[in-house]
Amino acid sequence: MTGATLSERRTRSRGGLIGLAIVALAGIVLPFASAGQPFLLMLASHALIAAILALSLDMLTGNTGLLSFGHAAWFGFGSYVAGLLSKSASSDIVVLSLLTLAATVLVAGVIGAVLVRQIGKTFAILTLALSQIMFAIVFVFSDITGGEDGLQGIPMATFLGMQIVSPTTWYAILLVALLLALAGALHLRRSPLGRAWLAIRENGERARFIGMNVNKLKLMSYVISAGLASLAGVLFVLFNGATSPDLLHWLESGKVLMYVVLGGVGTIFGPVIGAVVFTLAEHYVSTFTDAWLIYFGALFVLIVIVAPGGLFGGAARIAERLSARKSGRRTAQ
Amino acid sequence: MIILEVSELTKHFGGLKAVNGVNLRVQRGSIHSIIGPNGAGKTTLFNLITGSIRPMSGTVLFEGQDITGWPPERLARGGVARTFQRTSIFMDLPVLENVMLAIRSREGRSAALWQSHQHEDEDADEARGILASVGLRGREDAKAGMLAHGYQRALDIAIGLALKPRLILMDEPLAGMSRGDRETIASLITLLRDTMGLTIIVVEHDVGMIMRLSDRITVMQHGTVIADAPPEEIRGNEAVRQAYLHGSFAE
Repeated sequence: MTGATLSERRTRSRGGLIGLAIVALAGIVLPFASAGQPFLLMLASHALIAAILALSLDMLTGNTGLLSFGHAAWFGFGSYVAGLLSKSASSDIVVLSLLTLAATVLVAGVIGAVLVRQIGKTFAILTLALSQIMFAIVFVFSDITGGEDGLQGIPMATFLGMQIVSPTTWYAILLVALLLALAGALHLRRSPLGRAWLAIRENGERARFIGMNVNKLKLMSYVISAGLASLAGVLFVLFNGATSPDLLHWLESGKVLMYVVLGGVGTIFGPVIGAVVFTLAEHYVSTFTDAWLIYFGALFVLIVIVAPGGLFGGAARIAERLSARKSGRRTAQ
Repeated sequence: MIILEVSELTKHFGGLKAVNGVNLRVQRGSIHSIIGPNGAGKTTLFNLITGSIRPMSGTVLFEGQDITGWPPERLARGGVARTFQRTSIFMDLPVLENVMLAIRSREGRSAALWQSHQHEDEDADEARGILASVGLRGREDAKAGMLAHGYQRALDIAIGLALKPRLILMDEPLAGMSRGDRETIASLITLLRDTMGLTIIVVEHDVGMIMRLSDRITVMQHGTVIADAPPEEIRGNEAVRQAYLHGSFAE
């Protein structure tokens, strides 16, 4: 009996490890493929940040089913906090990450405690309101935040006293950050907490009646999600050297939600793929036409109707069907 | 010995006296059924006891402890479990995981970020044992949503059992089931009482099966108790007969 659970466990963890290896490999190959094209490396770096951001929203929506229309709030929050701290406290990327994370956990903990008590649409609307409030705050304190011009002149980030200069180093840092975040998300999914979240996503009422403190578990999901989004913000502001209110805009929130839906809600790898595909496509399509958002809108509608599981969910379903047909043929022979 | 004592429990919805000064005493280790025509207040009484809604007045004592108005998650941890009229399970998750979720919740490990292989295996073994006791052996790896209706109801009960309750309340466990499934669930309920010494409160519409199943029956009408006796006495009770004749027994 125990042996069976062991082998189950191995097969379950194998899928995640293979996925991680593929992401790592693709990430490592790219700088070589893009040698001599510095712009491509920068675009890829932005795609990595988008992927971390998408993963952070999946930690909330994919795990507990809570829909956030204002997830950019925490992306922007992280970028402003880290940007301001880098000017006053430290330029070390690790120190800035930890300080920003602490600030986010504190603020998201308080706000989340109110939010998770709301159900369905109310939650979604309030998250939108939250991001708009943060957007407004930037303008209220424009002498500190730079207002519409954004926060400029971020000092060059350091790591253990060394300045991070080369685009390749930045790319490596972002790739490692994404891999760590992915590993964390995969681990959480298999942990008791991750499975309690799935139970809540599916049937919150029943979860209460088996004794789960649903609000507490939802709050943990919210804070973890906000924390990861703020880390994406830290990486963005240090990589980019500036941040702006655009990061807090509802368009940004909409984009993150699109990454997740495009890739596949709750699939962990899906949102990462969605973010990368979207970021690259956004760049290339927008060089052909100004109306690229219209095409993305149409694609979005198509995905929701044709493949509700997103790119990843759709691909997984096709793979499943193919392997079923293959094994069916084998038994027929 | 009395395990649950309800005193003068009252809940009105606007002008409707859904539950009006109800008293109820449930013996430990018994199957105690609450029946009555539609709108008699059974479901409201059930929801008052299980913490879904708060009473206006009155008390609920469980093992001598005042549990009036406790929220469901606290009750679940305190030894009171429930099942649902519309089967309430985690459809997208494997059958085994459904039960393991309840075990981890009982042990206060729902929010754990990490769990040892030993715990994992112990939980899985315990869950397999519980599933076997409700007749779901061999179906552990199936997705809960793929189970037949009767098995889903059995899984709902298994989830309740995983909480190691002393009292389990079942909201119309026989509703919407085929004749064969009804027999299976009824014998399962009897089995729980006989092998585990569980106390079971059943709210039901299906009077025929209840007569055979119950140790004691409480009959409600218009939010009050009109009879409380063993099944054989209930059968000959004139007030009960009147209630069902004038009530909605025909439908």
